[in-house]
Amino acid sequence: MDPSRPPGATRMPWLQPAGGRGFPADQPPVGRVRGLAVAAEELDAGRGRGRASETPALPYRRGIPLPATEPRSLPPVGFARGVPAPGEEQRLGRARGFLLSSLLPPVGIGRGLSLFVEPPAEPAPPVKRETVPLPAPEATPGPQEVKREEPPLPVQVDVPGPGSSLLSMMRGMGIEPAKTWGRGAVSVGRGSVGEFAPPVGSPSVAGEETAPEGVMLRGTSFVGRGLIGAGRTAMPPVGFGRGPTVSPALAPGPDAPSAIPVTPKDAPPVSADVPVTPGSSQAKAELKMEAACEPRKKAGTKGNPVVIGSNYIPIHCKNEAVFQYHVAFTPNVESLSMRFGMMRDHRSATGEVVAFDGSILYLPKRLEEVVHLKSERRTDNQEIDIKIQMTKILPPHSDLCIPFYNVVLRRVMKILGLKLVGRNHYDPNSAVVLGKHRLQVWPGYATCIKRTDGGLYLSVDVSHKVLRNDSVLDVMNVIYQQSRESFQDECTKEFIGAIVITRYNNRTYRVDDIEWSKSPKDAFTMADGSKMTFIDYYRKNYGITIKEVDQPMLVHRPKERSRPGGKQVITGEILLLPELSFMTGIPEKMRKDFRAMKDLTMHINVSAEQHTHSIKQLLQNISTNPEALHELSRWGLEISPEILVTQGRTLPMETICLQSASFISSPSVDWSREVVRDSSISTIPLYCWAVFYPRRAAEQAEELVAMFGKVAGPMGMRLDRPIRMELRDDRTETYVKSIHSQLTSEPNVQLVVCIITGNRDDLYSAIKKLCCVQSPCPSQAINVRTIAQPQKLRSIAQKILLQINCKVGGELWTVSVPLKHLMVIGVDVHHDTSKKSRSVMGFVASLNSLLTRWYSRVTFQMPHEEIINGFRVCLLAALQKYYEVNHSFPEKIVIYRDGVSDGQLKTVELYEIPQILKCFETFPNYEPKMTFIVVQKRINTTLYSYEGDRFGTPPPGTVLDHTVTNRDRVDFYLMAHSIRQGCGFPTHYISIYNTANLTPDHLQRLTFKMCHLYWNWPGTVRVPAPCKYAHKLAFLSGQYLHSEPAIQLAEKLFFL
Amino acid sequence: METPSLFSPPLYMQRHQFVVEFVKSCDPRKVMDLGCADCSLLRKLKFHRHGIEVLVGVDIDCAAIRQRAHALAPLSSDYLQPSPRPLTIELYQGSVTEREPYTRGFDLVTCIELIEHLELWEVERFSDVVFGYMTPCAVIISTPNAEFNPLLPDLKGFRHNDHKFEWTRTEFQTWALGVCRQYGYSADFTGVGEAPDPDRGVGFCSQIGVFRRHADVSNAPMNNTLQEPTVYRLLYKVVYPSLCDNNIFQRILVSEVLYMAESLKRQWLVDKQGKQTDFTSRVHGLPSGEALLDDSRVELNAERNAIMLPDENEVEEEDEVEKDECEEGESALRPMKDGAEEDWETELG
Repeated sequence: MDPSRPPGATRMPWLQPAGGRGFPADQPPVGRVRGLAVAAEELDAGRGRGRASETPALPYRRGIPLPATEPRSLPPVGFARGVPAPGEEQRLGRARGFLLSSLLPPVGIGRGLSLFVEPPAEPAPPVKRETVPLPAPEATPGPQEVKREEPPLPVQVDVPGPGSSLLSMMRGMGIEPAKTWGRGAVSVGRGSVGEFAPPVGSPSVAGEETAPEGVMLRGTSFVGRGLIGAGRTAMPPVGFGRGPTVSPALAPGPDAPSAIPVTPKDAPPVSADVPVTPGSSQAKAELKMEAACEPRKKAGTKGNPVVIGSNYIPIHCKNEAVFQYHVAFTPNVESLSMRFGMMRDHRSATGEVVAFDGSILYLPKRLEEVVHLKSERRTDNQEIDIKIQMTKILPPHSDLCIPFYNVVLRRVMKILGLKLVGRNHYDPNSAVVLGKHRLQVWPGYATCIKRTDGGLYLSVDVSHKVLRNDSVLDVMNVIYQQSRESFQDECTKEFIGAIVITRYNNRTYRVDDIEWSKSPKDAFTMADGSKMTFIDYYRKNYGITIKEVDQPMLVHRPKERSRPGGKQVITGEILLLPELSFMTGIPEKMRKDFRAMKDLTMHINVSAEQHTHSIKQLLQNISTNPEALHELSRWGLEISPEILVTQGRTLPMETICLQSASFISSPSVDWSREVVRDSSISTIPLYCWAVFYPRRAAEQAEELVAMFGKVAGPMGMRLDRPIRMELRDDRTETYVKSIHSQLTSEPNVQLVVCIITGNRDDLYSAIKKLCCVQSPCPSQAINVRTIAQPQKLRSIAQKILLQINCKVGGELWTVSVPLKHLMVIGVDVHHDTSKKSRSVMGFVASLNSLLTRWYSRVTFQMPHEEIINGFRVCLLAALQKYYEVNHSFPEKIVIYRDGVSDGQLKTVELYEIPQILKCFETFPNYEPKMTFIVVQKRINTTLYSYEGDRFGTPPPGTVLDHTVTNRDRVDFYLMAHSIRQGCGFPTHYISIYNTANLTPDHLQRLTFKMCHLYWNWPGTVRVPAPCKYAHKLAFLSGQYLHSEPAIQLAEKLFFL
Repeated sequence: METPSLFSPPLYMQRHQFVVEFVKSCDPRKVMDLGCADCSLLRKLKFHRHGIEVLVGVDIDCAAIRQRAHALAPLSSDYLQPSPRPLTIELYQGSVTEREPYTRGFDLVTCIELIEHLELWEVERFSDVVFGYMTPCAVIISTPNAEFNPLLPDLKGFRHNDHKFEWTRTEFQTWALGVCRQYGYSADFTGVGEAPDPDRGVGFCSQIGVFRRHADVSNAPMNNTLQEPTVYRLLYKVVYPSLCDNNIFQRILVSEVLYMAESLKRQWLVDKQGKQTDFTSRVHGLPSGEALLDDSRVELNAERNAIMLPDENEVEEEDEVEKDECEEGESALRPMKDGAEEDWETELG
């Protein structure tokens, strides 16, 4: 931005004369012009942060002002009205004309402006021409601006005054500097902006920003930063229009809530310093716009209404509005902290309640429209003028307010004495100490203020943190005593990926590596360049004496992320001392200890009743703490004492179809009895299969095979006697050698069954590698312990047999999906916890109309590689396979994509989906309809049943598609599985692309149906079966195979 | 306040460090910081605790205190390993010119860059309140040294616009010695922020007076710990978890004992099982090196996937299956809903 400054300075002289004419001297029009260019650039950069969504729309929007041509002859008001329609046309024409424009939003702006200029420029024709070409190139703000400036001057002169207000307006738009018309221009800009904003999706922002923004652009380097991505985009035209004139501008605007069209004549005086229209009218305009934003149609109707609760608590805003101001420092103050400091000194003017990010200020109270304050810069005693200018009046639940409401909320949690660990707050005073394991469970909350379809809510989830009394060093010592030889390996296994909390601050770090060659005796470079050893550092700063001076160091590598400012990027490594780091999370060893885990899960898995009780406890604590209430009331927030209770639906039960039998699933969605009693849809006869077992498990193996024979019949399976391979011992090599020689000598083996002893990942991994990659053959590993209990053997054998049938290509059951030529795809990604190896994407696609045949693929990707590359390959292969099977391509494709966080939704929408669509072009004349649904399991939303004042778990098939849903999306929460323990966590489904036009009812019911089809579980599962399959596949490949499974297995569910 | 680049580490840190060193050498139990502002000194002392058990901050500006008060709260790790000694931190809004009974009987009172913000006539009151009324064992007072000011670039007037005066060394020491005479203290003078060599004569940038009460003067009522403040307003109070709290002590003790018992038991089990495995392996003629820890509690599911904890569901589900088989009579086949076949295609439009 700095470059913009010098030109500004030069221009100043120009402006001054203008000012004399009635322009406010302090707002040189020139400056504004530059501002535009700058702003535009900012858009590109800054957008991503806030609301990337708008970017694409911008070029169009920008195009809108063009209609100016028409308006020339019309009075201002008429103009505004006319805008929308012509805008459309214009847009088209434009797009055609300049391809470049669509790519570069900023460019678009420039052009829009210039065009504007053209029409009005009648008085100064030559000038116009110049301007037009210039903006189009767009890229180089410097020269352009200069040129633009020139035109204005002449124009100004020409413009007589009131009579040509329209003309002047247009000119103003383009040229900016000219004040008189500047005014008129403003109105135009505003109008257009206002009109078009809503569709774009940033309703609140659109209208008001104009004036202030323009100002902003002029002065500071901060211009770009701020919460208002959208607003800014809108601004450029407006800003030009000239801040001062804004108020009049508003009037002419299309809806003209405050219709006070000021003709140029009277305008000059008014406009100069009062850019903002009377607050009330503006506020109204805002609200109106928000209301205009039509909610998405996402409500379904099928199923039975049921009263349910959810972990949302309504928040009332008592403030009528929140006021947004732009703060400009002249001369500019670069240092953020200095800006904060200066604003802090003026609390008497702003009040104690502020939210300030360095350039944008939010207050719950109204100041004068423009407030000037003086501060002294302490470094050089320079007097700084601080100008606080109102830019917007926001409804108190505006999206822009949410971030600082959440800051307030965090403060409230602190006031309640809760400790921040990671992102959530925990109560150490209610810690449950598990002395046996030297760990503590801290109960706590994940809280967040959100704006959803139903308004402003506090979302509270109950969370538990497991902390260990041992430092990393303690654990290292234990490991050392147990296994000296493999000490480093064991440590790597134990600590990499673990989250530690340090003794000297409240931060948590993830351990990415261990630096064995470093010790606390090593020195590091401080921020000021001096060197200091870790020992000295901790002694000096925290009074901590390091006891073990020879410990290795833990390495944390922060994610590279840019701060809101977009500039600072945190890089480099952070070294931590094991002695000063406490472990968090459940120890690996304990995870394997069933009883210990039971001790633990008893405290962690809370029932719906306990869940709601905890939430109520929190609400109670807040409401009885005066300090917390005061904190909330500063922003006028009032948290309701009651948990949200609303109406959801339970979807109709589905009919499960076996080969000949079919039945409606029971309310507990469990058909484990039925599937072993009747024939599966299809079974693969096993003529040639082999069982491998160590000698000591011979007896169990024999019994299992015998039991297989007994239970196979009712399921419709034919099972010949297996090849028995008794192994000398149970070493991994023995298994591998034996299986390998068997598979090579007898190529027709349909299935390998391995009975293994103990809990051995290496053996499992070796067997799977052999049978999935090297010598492809479905395989089934069975732990001897699971078949050791005779009384359970029957049901275990039945389950294993079903699983085997799936693995060799049989089909178990299905539900009817009344859509023809449909392909359902599931995608999930497995990330290695240590982050060392690549991520794995599992891809599973249905091949037939019964949805009983699945095609699966796996791709590996580097940590930062986009998933889409591999996805394309998989999709093409699946489509080809579908064609082979059905002799046609699917007409509808439904993709369930798991593993997408909220922050990545935009990327998926803007990047992945277009790429997928492009994929279809590979085949001539192929344009399938597609629905893309993002599946989110890890969410903080809980559903409760609510009956007679008591909260419980809701029945399977419960769906909630309103109130707590996302305002910008078609989404719903569905709880497909039945809950036997704990609390009801639904899965969140977001439809982000839907050319198949599936209605909300279709989406919900199709999803529920898909949750019935996971064959490893005779009931419903949390996510659609293809996602679950993809998850299984990705997990197997990432965790055990470390490579892609053989393509020969792609049509079998070998990974179950 | 001062030009940041002039001193390294920054002067305020040097002042704090001075207090920390003093605490280290004199080991006070109760420490009060007058004019604690953003509590940065308190935060420092909280780490360099040594023998401190009560840490009190007083400032007249309640907003400044509130702003950072929560940074004084115990860290998560303080709960994981409670310290052996107690610590209570309290913050009050109040004026140093008011007599507050609660403030009596402290071991150390610090007034870092405080007195220059008082009007000269208030300094009188201040001396009376601090030395005459609070009568702490030791007082540390720091204030700018006016003689140093010419060395500060671009400085006109005082170093901060709220400063009411800035004393030379003589002025400060005159005042200090007067106080000593009047209230029975002795004072040492030092400072932080040395001037570069040629100008060393001007003294330290911040001059510091360390006052100690004469041992024979024992006018301090020491038994006021239970007294509630009357003039000051309590803004924040936090008690750190410590082993002096009986509940915490018991809890920690019990869990340590339990843990030891558990590890003894585990050790014993491993030994015992090790023997068993040896036995079986001998039977099977296997090499005894691979002692499998065959813990029957560790369950594996049939798929042998990584989740070693069997799904609760699965366990229950198995039980149910068994039950069902006893009551074969119940017909499992529910009638199919009369088959109004759905067709979504038509609804798609």
